[in-house]
Amino acid sequence: MNIDLTATLIALLTYFGIAALMAISLNLEYGVAGIPNFGQAFFVSIGAYTAAITYTRLLPLLAGQSFINPCGATLAQALQLRSDIMRTMPAVALGNFVITLLIAAVVGGIIGYLTSYVILRLKQEWYLALVLLVGGETVRIFVRGYEPVICASNGISGIAGPFAWIGNTQAASILFALLVLLLAAATFWYSQKLVRSPFGRLLKAVRENEQVALGLGKNVARVRAQVMFIGSAIAAIAGVLFALNLGFVSTNDYVVNMTLDVWVMIVLGGLGSSRGALLGALIITVLDRLTAITAIQFNRSGIELEFNYVRYILFGMILLLVLRFRPQGLLPETPFTTPAHDHLVQESANA
Amino acid sequence: MLEVQDLRKEFDGLQALDGVSLTVPKGQIVGLIGPNGSGKSTLLNIIAGTIPPTSGQIRFDSHDITRSSADDIFKLGLARGYQDASLFFQMTVLDNTLLPVKQQRGEHPWYAPWRRVWNAEEQTNATSASQRLSQVNLRSHFNKRASDLSGGQMKLLEMARSLMGSPKMLLLDEPTAGVAPALALDIFRHIDTLCREAGITFLIVEHRLEMLFEFTDSVYVMHMGRVMAHGTPEEIEADAAVREVYFGE
Amino acid sequence: MTVTLLIDSLLRSLQVGSLYALMAIGLTLTMNVVRLPNFAHAEYITIGAYTALVVSLGVSSNPVIVLGAAFIVTALVALASHLTVFRPLEKQRTSTYTMLLASFAVGLILRYILFLLADTFELFDKRIQIPLEIWYRSNVMILTNIFFWVVPSSIGLVIALSLLLNYTPLGREMRALANNFDLARAIGIRVNRVVNLTWLLVGGLAGVAGALLGIYTSVNPLTGWFAILPVFAAAILGGLSSFPGTILGAYLVALSENTIMQILNSYLGLDFSFKTAIPFVIIILVLLFRPRGFTELLPGSRGLQR
Repeated sequence: MNIDLTATLIALLTYFGIAALMAISLNLEYGVAGIPNFGQAFFVSIGAYTAAITYTRLLPLLAGQSFINPCGATLAQALQLRSDIMRTMPAVALGNFVITLLIAAVVGGIIGYLTSYVILRLKQEWYLALVLLVGGETVRIFVRGYEPVICASNGISGIAGPFAWIGNTQAASILFALLVLLLAAATFWYSQKLVRSPFGRLLKAVRENEQVALGLGKNVARVRAQVMFIGSAIAAIAGVLFALNLGFVSTNDYVVNMTLDVWVMIVLGGLGSSRGALLGALIITVLDRLTAITAIQFNRSGIELEFNYVRYILFGMILLLVLRFRPQGLLPETPFTTPAHDHLVQESANA
Repeated sequence: MLEVQDLRKEFDGLQALDGVSLTVPKGQIVGLIGPNGSGKSTLLNIIAGTIPPTSGQIRFDSHDITRSSADDIFKLGLARGYQDASLFFQMTVLDNTLLPVKQQRGEHPWYAPWRRVWNAEEQTNATSASQRLSQVNLRSHFNKRASDLSGGQMKLLEMARSLMGSPKMLLLDEPTAGVAPALALDIFRHIDTLCREAGITFLIVEHRLEMLFEFTDSVYVMHMGRVMAHGTPEEIEADAAVREVYFGE
Repeated sequence: MTVTLLIDSLLRSLQVGSLYALMAIGLTLTMNVVRLPNFAHAEYITIGAYTALVVSLGVSSNPVIVLGAAFIVTALVALASHLTVFRPLEKQRTSTYTMLLASFAVGLILRYILFLLADTFELFDKRIQIPLEIWYRSNVMILTNIFFWVVPSSIGLVIALSLLLNYTPLGREMRALANNFDLARAIGIRVNRVVNLTWLLVGGLAGVAGALLGIYTSVNPLTGWFAILPVFAAAILGGLSSFPGTILGAYLVALSENTIMQILNSYLGLDFSFKTAIPFVIIILVLLFRPRGFTELLPGSRGLQR
């Protein structure tokens, strides 16, 4: 049984960082604000598609080259061009990367914002979840069948990380992993700050009783839209990183199972708590990587069992067990005191 | 302050409100009574903007609020209380109280992560919250979860909370329901003080008639979706038709 | 577009629509009596299909036995999922979203167990063996015995269910539960018994529908999952409460997927791969613009009547 430990660890950390971003995003949307986003894979895919577009169209532009159609006959040529640019022009590679992140975040955020207004018209509670799920799937089908974005079902490959110009591939992947973790940490810090503020207080109120919040003058629709903007932007960033890590973009990855994985993460970790989201992301990523490795080992050693199937059964059971026996999750939402509380404590002390 | 004109509401063929008109002059405490099912709660819900009327007009402080949304109505200065305590039970007493404050910069997601931007404002709000809570003897409980309070304390908190938005008028739906008589009297005295000292107008739906009559300037009686009588408490008390509707049936 | 093509697609719409109707009715029943949007319903269908497949391969090709086995096995699985997962969660007063999530998880587990079994025993994309006979042939269409199995059985079961709901004591109790849960309990209806029987019924019907589906097309672990979105679309068109509406919705969805898709393809060149998007589009449009679906158009069809 030969496994490259270093490579596995690097891959694990990278996947964890990406999963953390998705988990924090969903936790913000559902755990804190009560919006059941069952279509998160869709918002993640926005990031991936953005990367596909920028890396096939913007990248050559930045490098001073002309555009080659990435689909059809000129596919190999376009691929070679991308590869050459990424390997020889660091400034362009990094520049394109940053621009991609920004565009993805903005586009994802805007789409999230608009989606939430559309959802306003729904009557029953769970229709929300269904529409998000179905909507996401619909777009996926259209992108799959419609050529322009990512060459229909063929997908676009040759989307490398921004460090491909470094000679050493392992060093490049380590740098990428560190970058991903950095972004995850920054997002974690940001979401904590967001939640421990009057805005967080407002979100909790809206989550608990929307009608009363309205009656107290809060524009519930706008608040939800704001949360969706933030959550979708984060999801889109995760999508960019996911695509770069994988090296290609295809519609097959952004399916319902991805959304489900993230839900398991936040339920396991604890709804409403950012730390819980991180823990959930970690545990699920580890299990995911372990099952992937086991599946490969099984295949190699000729064992008949397709272990990847077991992965889903395992995740489903984890979800059910948590919901049944520890619904608050592993790291439940700790009631924190807003600064106002400290102020009153101070006041009492002074009196 | 508040003028309701010929308000009608139909639900699936049922006429819940059949042409209701009433006026609440500024600075007064007006009562609204009637047997169950007479449409009082529906009326309150429509005024507060939770449900839309079928026809009619509502004016508040010279604004037309007939079809305004609940949050816009609150922002204009008309706040409401609910029959069942409508607190945010998973939040602390203080957080509940701080929520209605208008125009908090910290509530905007752009500013929220940067404490320095909203800290001063939050502290000012905390101080005024502290004062309001002291008025209803809840100051020492500020850190408790709202669900840990007693029923009476919850009602008081609700009132303190409604006041934080600096309302010009309060709609109260059975503010003393299920509360011990001593506390009920307390609540009414509090309402009276607020009216006389802060100039807040009140429209109160109540069943505790004796207390209501003692504190109100005028009373409307509703029956089957209509206003059947209106007058001073003494006049209403003496009205035979009202007695029949309330006690005869 | 030739007449043959048109008639062929209409026939397909009829068959598929009947199957969707049977599946959607079960879903509507679950949502009304037990108040749960059950995504695992998809897997009940698949389990029925696989049961039928296994029975027809190993035991007997007699359609009655095959369908009967599908009914029984799936009914038991549905009941088991209720007793082990949904009921305990309901007692914990979980939110609707969490129940939805749980039903997803149940479906996921069942689906991948089926994947494992299919993988081990090489049962991917097999068709249930009922000897094919052509029963009618003309210039424009061919009707096989499969058509005569699928359509009348589905419609027959739907009618049987309606009769059960409207004219039997059990049906009355189920409707009472659907209309007002607390009141029904207060007047002494043995809620647990009715709920359990509902689950058995819903599971059984889904199983038979799956078996029929497996006769009509081939069987793989994703069979139910592919059918569930059109089924949800049909149920939503029926306003999640009216039987006639749901049946109408089912045929409408089938028609859109087959005949309308065919028309779009022939005249607008729209690729068939968009076929799967059609029920999604229907769901979104209905939920946004007419959430009660067909309920208002059909007289007396509220609250699980008729």
